[in-house]
Amino acid sequence: MYKDALSGKEIIKASKLSFNYSESKDGIADIDFVINEGDIVLLTGNSGCGKSTLLKCLNGLIPAITEGNLKGVLSIEGSDYSDIKIHELNKIVGSVFQNPRSQFFTENTTAELVFPMENYGYTKAEMDERLKELIEAFGIGELMDHDIYSLSSGERQLIALASSVTMHQKVLLFDEPSANLDYGNSMRLGSLISRLKKEGYTILVADHRFFYLNGRLDKVLFMEDGNLKAFDSEEAFKNSGYNVRSFDLFSIDIPFRPVPDSNECIAEMNNVSYKNILHDVSLKLYRNEVVGIVGNNGVGKTTLAKFLCKTFKPDKGSIRIKDLPFFIMQDPDYQLFGTSVKNELSLVKDDDKKIEECLKELGLLPYKNKHPFDLSGGQKQRLQIGMAMLCEKDLIIFDEPTSGLDISSMKTVAGEILKLKVKAGILVISHDYEFLRNVADRIVFVSGGTIEKDFYLNEKTVSDLNDIFTKMQEEKAYEE
Amino acid sequence: MNCSARAKRKAYKYLMRGLKINPVVLIIINVLAPSMYILISGMYLEIFLLVFACIVILLMEEYKMLFGLLITFTVLIGTYYFTISHEKTASLAMFFLILSQSVPCLFLAASLISRYTSAQLLSALETLRIPRVMVVAATITLKYIPTFAREFKLLRDSMRLRGIDFTLRKPIKSFQYFVVPQLFRCAALADEVTAAGIVKGIDAPRRRTSYYEQKIRWFDYAILALFVAGLGGCYLCTKMR
Repeated sequence: MYKDALSGKEIIKASKLSFNYSESKDGIADIDFVINEGDIVLLTGNSGCGKSTLLKCLNGLIPAITEGNLKGVLSIEGSDYSDIKIHELNKIVGSVFQNPRSQFFTENTTAELVFPMENYGYTKAEMDERLKELIEAFGIGELMDHDIYSLSSGERQLIALASSVTMHQKVLLFDEPSANLDYGNSMRLGSLISRLKKEGYTILVADHRFFYLNGRLDKVLFMEDGNLKAFDSEEAFKNSGYNVRSFDLFSIDIPFRPVPDSNECIAEMNNVSYKNILHDVSLKLYRNEVVGIVGNNGVGKTTLAKFLCKTFKPDKGSIRIKDLPFFIMQDPDYQLFGTSVKNELSLVKDDDKKIEECLKELGLLPYKNKHPFDLSGGQKQRLQIGMAMLCEKDLIIFDEPTSGLDISSMKTVAGEILKLKVKAGILVISHDYEFLRNVADRIVFVSGGTIEKDFYLNEKTVSDLNDIFTKMQEEKAYEE
Repeated sequence: MNCSARAKRKAYKYLMRGLKINPVVLIIINVLAPSMYILISGMYLEIFLLVFACIVILLMEEYKMLFGLLITFTVLIGTYYFTISHEKTASLAMFFLILSQSVPCLFLAASLISRYTSAQLLSALETLRIPRVMVVAATITLKYIPTFAREFKLLRDSMRLRGIDFTLRKPIKSFQYFVVPQLFRCAALADEVTAAGIVKGIDAPRRRTSYYEQKIRWFDYAILALFVAGLGGCYLCTKMR
């Protein structure tokens, strides 16, 4: 009774909502939930649980552009979704996508903000007025009339957010906002979401990671295999017995590994400087060691890795590395060239027996004749790891291997990386605290153009790692 | 560090140098120019279009582009004269001639894409009263070009690191490694861009307005007049010959 009196009126309601894709068996089944006005709702669950499907139902992309069989009732502000045209719905519901490519229709910040207004036929004067309001509300004055792709991830998120409320939308849907944000920007997004709630917005965030929403949630929708369980409070979710450790990153308890006793140096940088990004950086990498590089976006983490790959040459200093490393990119789509899964691996090492073993170990054997692009995101990543397993390189570099992965997939990747370190040295660029705790032997913190800290992770130094993450939250970061 | 990154970001600020020609004018020119080869003798039209494109690009103060145009043209026309003067290669000559003829239009089209945002192009196409479906299709195609340019570098680097660099020794294999992933990316991108457009009301059944709507000004008419006069001149020269 008391709770009802406090919360706003019902804004979105689903009953017996089901959807099946026409191309696959995936979908959602018999979903029931209610979202009240002004709620902050977390939608979570493992990869492939149906989160994206539900989001697409909520923003109308199902059934507008995705084909399949939709059943049940979904209503917003008392009207049935089937009675509302998608262009009307999108004046109520704003969407913030994960990938900048799918988020932005134009390349210019101002053009992006006025784009919906142009579509809805606003006059120039009306657009100017609304633009002024948005600039004031989100503090984005100095970002106007810029190339969107030159902004930092945090700034881009602000533009994405502002553009999703141009039509005075009251409901905001976020799709995995933390996947492309560093730790600091994720935490800032958390505060921003709370502020939006105070201003009367209803917010639904679909994400695997939710540390930045700790203490802010009104409701949690947990999905598993297309089914949904609703929790009426954050407390209820925390007490549910599901793996909710991600709420408080620093409290996780993972045993530390002994310091690896390898002294075979496989790559070395001496007093390396590059543009205004890095100054006099020296670093040695050893075999059988996993080094985690941390630092806010834009401090030069990727630049360091690109030196080792000889993509960039430093302005000053020297790099010593015997062979090009194997570099595993964040987006596997850039890295797959084969005609089948098996062919992809044979491009690395043409040895049928070893390929077979590798496929078996990664659980990819049933897919060996599929085209790499027909695999799911997680399978593509496992294929990348398979390539790393077969390659005979001394150094393997991973760039943000866990962005957008759920906890169990993250742990699988961590396990594979630990196996890889038996034969090679590993460098991981990551802002995923939990992953680093699972995998890193040594932490290298890049800040202010230099390596500020370089230490082995153990009971004593874990507080240093925690301090680094706290510091990153405070620093205002700009991307390379 | 932060300051320098900020300065770098500032440097991206969208500024249009030189004469702000209405994109509609450039679109009309780009549509008309290639089809004129049917009516007008190749050489006259080629010379006129080259001079015309140089003037327009110069007025836009796109000096790098002007330089690129002249170099590309010189190389292609040079190759044409070289190939035609040798018996063995003469059969290839026509190919280089046609390529060189398309250079002015290609650079004018490139100026359209590099100087105007997709929003500006969209509104320009709208003023031409082209059906919405075609406008959206054209805009999505135009949007793909800068995305592709951004991704091309990444893809090349990734191929190099995988040891399957783009090499002329194995042109077909290299091409396959390069093109097939691109086709898949195209399909994924098309879905993403469609979703981005739809949630922002691109299909709203209203007359679209434009924040960037530019009036056609005197110099737009002057450029069009110069273009038409030049075509007329070329036509007369062809007839008189």
